[in-house]
Amino acid sequence: MAVSVAAKARDVVGQNVHKVDGPALVCGKPLFTLDMDVPGALVGKILHSPHAHAMIEAIDTSAAEAIPGVACILHFGNVPRIPHTTAGQGWPEPSPYDTVLFDRKVRYVGDRVAAVAATSEEAADEALRKIRVEYKVLPAVLSVDEALAPGAPVIHDEPDAEGIYDAQRNIAAAVDIPVGDVDRALAESPVTAEATCEIPYLQHTPIEPHCVIAYFDEDGRLVIRTSTQVPFHVRRIVARVLALPMSRIRVVKPRIGGGFGAKQEIILEPVAGALALRTGRPVRIAYTREEEFVASRTRHPMRVTVKLGAGRDGTLRAIDMEALSNTGAYGTHSLTVLSNVGSKTLPLYNKARHLRFHGKAVYTNLPVAGAYRGYGATQGYFALEVAMDILAEKLGLDPLELRQRNHIRVGETSPIFEKIGEGREGKAQIVRSCALPECLRIGAERIGWKRNRGRRRREGPWAYGVGMACAMQGSGITGIDMGAATIVMNEDGSFRLLVGATDLGTGSDTVLAQIAAEALGVSVDKVLVYSSDTDFTPFDVGAYASSTTYVSGLAVLKAAEDVRRQILDVAAAALEEAPEDLELSQGAVRSVRSGRAVTLADVGHRATYVVDQHQIAATASCVAPESPPPFAAFFCEVAVDTETGLVRVERFVAVADCGVAIHPKQAEGQLEGAVVQGIGHALYEEMLFSGRGRCVNPSFFDYKIPSALDVPEVEAILVPSEEPTGPFGAKSIAEVGINGPLPAISNAIYDAVGIRLTRAPFTPERVLSALRSRTG
Amino acid sequence: MHTTGLAEIVRPRDLAEAVRLAAEGGEPLAGGTDLFVRLRKGVERPPFLVYIGDLPELRRISVGESKVEIGAAATHAEILASPAAARLPILRLALEAIASPAIRAMGTLGGNLANASPAGDGLIPLYLLGARVNLVGPDGERALAVEEFVLGPGKTALRPGEVIRSLDLPFPEGAPRAYFRKVGRRRALIIAIASLGALLWLRDGTIERARLALGSVAPTVVRPREVEQALVGRPLAPDALADLVEALSAATRPISDLRASAGYRRTVAGRLLLDLACTISPGG
Ligand SMILES: Cc1cc2nc3c(=O)[nH]c(=O)nc-3n(C[C@H](O)[C@H](O)[C@H](O)COP(=O)(O)OP(=O)(O)OC[C@H]3O[C@@H](n4cnc5c(N)ncnc54)[C@H](O)[C@@H]3O)c2cc1C
Repeated sequence: MAVSVAAKARDVVGQNVHKVDGPALVCGKPLFTLDMDVPGALVGKILHSPHAHAMIEAIDTSAAEAIPGVACILHFGNVPRIPHTTAGQGWPEPSPYDTVLFDRKVRYVGDRVAAVAATSEEAADEALRKIRVEYKVLPAVLSVDEALAPGAPVIHDEPDAEGIYDAQRNIAAAVDIPVGDVDRALAESPVTAEATCEIPYLQHTPIEPHCVIAYFDEDGRLVIRTSTQVPFHVRRIVARVLALPMSRIRVVKPRIGGGFGAKQEIILEPVAGALALRTGRPVRIAYTREEEFVASRTRHPMRVTVKLGAGRDGTLRAIDMEALSNTGAYGTHSLTVLSNVGSKTLPLYNKARHLRFHGKAVYTNLPVAGAYRGYGATQGYFALEVAMDILAEKLGLDPLELRQRNHIRVGETSPIFEKIGEGREGKAQIVRSCALPECLRIGAERIGWKRNRGRRRREGPWAYGVGMACAMQGSGITGIDMGAATIVMNEDGSFRLLVGATDLGTGSDTVLAQIAAEALGVSVDKVLVYSSDTDFTPFDVGAYASSTTYVSGLAVLKAAEDVRRQILDVAAAALEEAPEDLELSQGAVRSVRSGRAVTLADVGHRATYVVDQHQIAATASCVAPESPPPFAAFFCEVAVDTETGLVRVERFVAVADCGVAIHPKQAEGQLEGAVVQGIGHALYEEMLFSGRGRCVNPSFFDYKIPSALDVPEVEAILVPSEEPTGPFGAKSIAEVGINGPLPAISNAIYDAVGIRLTRAPFTPERVLSALRSRTG
Repeated sequence: MHTTGLAEIVRPRDLAEAVRLAAEGGEPLAGGTDLFVRLRKGVERPPFLVYIGDLPELRRISVGESKVEIGAAATHAEILASPAAARLPILRLALEAIASPAIRAMGTLGGNLANASPAGDGLIPLYLLGARVNLVGPDGERALAVEEFVLGPGKTALRPGEVIRSLDLPFPEGAPRAYFRKVGRRRALIIAIASLGALLWLRDGTIERARLALGSVAPTVVRPREVEQALVGRPLAPDALADLVEALSAATRPISDLRASAGYRRTVAGRLLLDLACTISPGG
């Protein structure tokens, strides 16, 4: 549902046009990575470490190599050692170079020991079983506290790693950013509140697991068709790891079955590439669901403590936020996720003058954490918004009002924007659009906030309560993220839009086509989108940091405006009028002076064949000028079964300001999907580990995500604002929605039964034990 | 060499042939919702499978004078849509709690029983109603009470070559009230952490007779008969039952696993008695 404001009249932007890839997807056309059959492709499989921490003393592949059909086995002994990071991020890369393709040391159960290529699944499986590895098992570090303890085993003791904050103490990254004097401000604040909240290992669970096919084109160049969010970073990192010139690699991104950040990682591509190079044959690799859980990436488990200080009137004076992040065995995204815990949360309450954000990302012998929708903000908001609820209670203030008094507004700023960036300083910015006041008002109304809060309504054993939270995110990474677009006019007046931007199921191809169509005065079906192929589409950092609509969208808009100028020039010559007197809309160029018109088909034909022949086309780039935050308010009603501890979300209302929604239905879908994923975090999801670091629930049988039958009534409401720096007023929507459910549900449980759940997920067992320890 | 892929599936013409094939070592296959999970895990490798899911003799559901007879291969969805479910509310409540519509369209009551999981939701009404299990094997037919049929987790009294033909569910006397609740983290597709089913005969708000069955808290479904006895004569109200919570917990022998600890299972099993008292209103 979208709240309507007097929006500018637009033909395409703001319309729920058909998804450009919808029909093919609905018809089950072969669009995904593995839908393409490359004849003669070998099956690649990976041997994973059974130990959390061990040295490989010896590896014997002779029996495995003797199996008919086995073409190649790679391991540390026959592959060059090139330290790199698997994080698909901009340059310079902010994550440490602490990973090699195959190492002599394994650092978690699931770490890569060897890779096999064979002519059949069976032969590959048998080869995995017959590779003999002798391990010297080392003491394992299975928690951040163990990792930081003096004398703890050192996980990254290899001499060639680069960029680790303090390898000897297992600290991958650390930050400490003070603004003002937070300790003093806290001590002097008449009212203070504190919360420590914890998030466990969580997996993205994209329906399509990581998969890739590597093959050679006619010229012997390596083509990598892969399920990725970051095709250009794949090319750069594969070139590094395989020591190939970048020009010998082409990366193709077909349709993607979801990523949520897990595919902002370069995991299988270099392995498939290495196997293909070694054998000279195509190689395909697909993770099983178990591998997806254990050996792809996860959210960073984190413990975040927030201390708030406020005046008696409820004005915040100080916020101290400390994060202890578990990055697992490798430090991919360790610094940047950690930084975002503070940078995406603290500016929301800019009335506080004294701030401190500090934390560490710590290595453990557990699966590797990486990017995950929300990117640290989710962890930060859990603690911040629970602490706000506690503070409101201490102040005797409605939690809604506490937010209203303290949140950032249009024209305001926060020192944090400048202090914390992507692992370095950020950029100062002013908030130019913010409909959070409206979001709060509408959300409160929809949930019946005044009516339902603090009632402790009971029905038998069921207790009811309501809770709320706020959040913001960003739109791209200021000054770092670059997206480019090429628009080429066809002679019939249609356009090709080539973007490096990466639609991974989000619908960004449709949104970008809408932006181009709006600027070119045509309907969306006249814009043929192609994304993304490093040979044919211009550079784009890819789909992360909520950047595509804003950054890539601005690039598309710039390219479209350039093409539009070229069209007007051709039309001006054809009509013998001045370009300033011409207007482009509905597929034709019309003179406002004479009323005469030429169609776009006429323009295309003329430019291609008639006079002054040339290709009407433009390429434009955009570097995120700012990172305007989308805002959201979350409200929910829960029912808590006081006999069993079961929590049911009865209703969830998420109200977001993403600027102008280019495609409202898709934007609502992003918001709703993020909320559902967040409900999974709050109530169901948790990877569990044995005493030796083995994940014991790596399947949908034992790791539950919300299914269609579990999803409560979710109302996703968009409140438009007009972001002046965005394409047609747009900001991002992809991530912000996942930040609300954890704190909103925790706060609602408190409203219902008076207990604070601070460790996710809020399982029946945890809730019941909290209820029992309260009653004594 | 054949290391992956599933075993061959044989389709018998009738029940007699199914029994003969089972006697040759074939494992009966009904909906496959348990069996295929096990086969994929590679925990067992039967030489071949005997598909009994479309034998008409095994799919019939007939409502008689004193009982309902349900063919072993009738699916949960078919049973729920049949008059049998309308006549036996406890059966309906339990089967509605199984998995999801898709799984209920494939899974069968016979398969649920043969699988003999203590978490099998369909077993609860069988225990409460005192169902009999009709078997047919190479040596002819026999019938067992459900409590004799289920021996332990995954263990039954089925002899080699024997197939469950049908289940007899006698109508209880009078009009007992039915209750079923399973506790799990989410709503759909969840294996119970603990469950309680009950039949209560009430008069003027007082319990005249009670049958209880607990799931997922012991190696098999449990009938806590002492608690059933102790309920007699009490008013149906949470306060009046509070002192039996401990006794009901004591009737369990739970394990700890990924889904919950033994302690939680024990506690919650007992507390479900209070939920029952709240859920069933003594009047209507
Ligand atoms: C995702 C999922 C969710 C589930 N959720 C639930 C749930 O919520 N509650 C629940 O109780 N169960 C659940 N189950 C388990 C399963 O669906 C049920 O136990 C179902 O009733 C099994 O029936 P089936 O016909 O599929 O059995 P099958 O898989 O075909 O067979 C199971 C076993 O019984 C044997 N067998 C089957 N029929 C006969 C017969 N007539 N005679 C002799 N032996 C026979 C087979 O040989 C096999 O060993 C779930 C399963 C899945 C996959």
